[in-house]
Amino acid sequence: MFHWLEKHPFFFAVGVFLVISFAGLIEIVPNFAQASRPVIGTAPYSTLELAGRHVYIKNSCNACHSQLVRPFKSETDRYGHYSLSGEYAYDRPFLWGSKRTGPDLMRVGNYRTTDWHENHMKAPADVVPGSIMPAYTWMFTNLADINTAYAEQLTVAQFFSTPYNKPVPMKDGSTKVVAMGNNVTEANAMALEEAKLIAADMKDQDVKDAVANGQIPEIVALIAYMNSLK
Amino acid sequence: MNKLYLGGAIFTILMLAFTYISVGGSEGGLNGDIVNMLAVAGAVALVIITVFVVIKYVRQMQTDTADGELADESWDNIGEYKNPVPMGWAIMFLGTMIWGMWYFLIGYPVNAYSQIGEYNEDTAAHNEKFNAQYESITGDRLVEMGESVFLAECKVCHGLAADGIDGKAANLKVRLEAKTVKHVVENGSNNQLLGTEMPMPDRNGLFNNNTGALITDAEIDAVAAYVANGMSGAGADVFAGACASCHGEDGQGMEYVAPNVAAFTPELVANVLNHGKKGVIGTMPAFDRLNAKQKEAVGAYITSLSK
Repeated sequence: MFHWLEKHPFFFAVGVFLVISFAGLIEIVPNFAQASRPVIGTAPYSTLELAGRHVYIKNSCNACHSQLVRPFKSETDRYGHYSLSGEYAYDRPFLWGSKRTGPDLMRVGNYRTTDWHENHMKAPADVVPGSIMPAYTWMFTNLADINTAYAEQLTVAQFFSTPYNKPVPMKDGSTKVVAMGNNVTEANAMALEEAKLIAADMKDQDVKDAVANGQIPEIVALIAYMNSLK
Repeated sequence: MNKLYLGGAIFTILMLAFTYISVGGSEGGLNGDIVNMLAVAGAVALVIITVFVVIKYVRQMQTDTADGELADESWDNIGEYKNPVPMGWAIMFLGTMIWGMWYFLIGYPVNAYSQIGEYNEDTAAHNEKFNAQYESITGDRLVEMGESVFLAECKVCHGLAADGIDGKAANLKVRLEAKTVKHVVENGSNNQLLGTEMPMPDRNGLFNNNTGALITDAEIDAVAAYVANGMSGAGADVFAGACASCHGEDGQGMEYVAPNVAAFTPELVANVLNHGKKGVIGTMPAFDRLNAKQKEAVGAYITSLSK
């Protein structure tokens, strides 16, 4: 066996590679598989939340806001529990960001609310004195792209088995089912239902009117996404 | 002295001369600067050592002969002696095995670095320090701490001055505003202000004992103005008839029944921080990540604002 290997350097190299990669594989693969599994309490995004995520990406929010709480006391005091890799299981792509011009938004849904976001996106400096964040007034008139969000839901459900319409375990022991429409009309109707709940907590009359007329301004989708970040 | 040594000596002298010329001739040069002198000494040592080590091995290759018993194996006609392993190698080999076992069983498991472990230690150390320093503070220091927590956590909604930024959040300088009282009387309330579920009925469950009928719009306006005015002025009769049975005649509330509507109390604030609340202005999220002392401090600060 060993003589044979010594006479065949190519197969010797293959053998060495196999032995070394075996060690690597049993160290890395189980750990990786475990860590990338969604943690309990992480649910897929609903259609409206996903549309809000697209608004977030479209406006490059991730250029100034990170979504990654590091395990330091100063960060967990401010933002909540440090991030776990499984919490990003349904983020495609993840929006960790690499620079904090503004605060981290990983768990902003825990400590900010619909009405605050509404005030803040209209005029940031009015609520946070000295804030350099610009106002995003166009989000109150531009309409969210629900069709694209639904297309993404269909894709991830089919190719990555993202658990839509299936029970997902939550932290309190209950389960949550994130519903996805059977077709694009149904998806739009479901997103509108969700948007109505958000709009009920908002004050902008134009946004309320738009939602009552069956339209979903970007701000509503974005707030749904912000509220889902927990 | 063969010509190998002679060549080595000549090469060394040439190298040293070159070093001396290039260093001595340059600006600064060998002017007594300790770093320059050390560098030159190092260069001289390197040249001499290199030359003579090379000479030693070249000579060894020229003159050495090997002997010993050959192993049976022959690899492409290259043989191998059956010499024992040198003692130094054997010791290093055994030592490495022992170290490997120690590292595998004790060294790594006991001393390994963990980011989360460091975080946990930091947090425990910080909490211990916090408790030692602030556990027993009271009075003005507690209010000061409350103000600093307020400025870090609460001011984004309630504003630097705690006035709610023109109605964007509750004005904490008064216990209740008229629109809040009106909203609560009309719609009921269940904000766990006592720490437990204790719903207040909406207007269809609120009787005015003075009239024996459900509370009316005019009475709601009157009692809202009365409570917002700090429990004084017109509307006292409505409060006595419709509200006092739960909230007390002076609005101080009753334990397990109804919260204080006349003034903030630290317990009330702590319950809002724990459970959040939803009212006429909007939703306030829970801030249960503050520790108990910080909640107490925020309570003390907010209570102090409306005094």
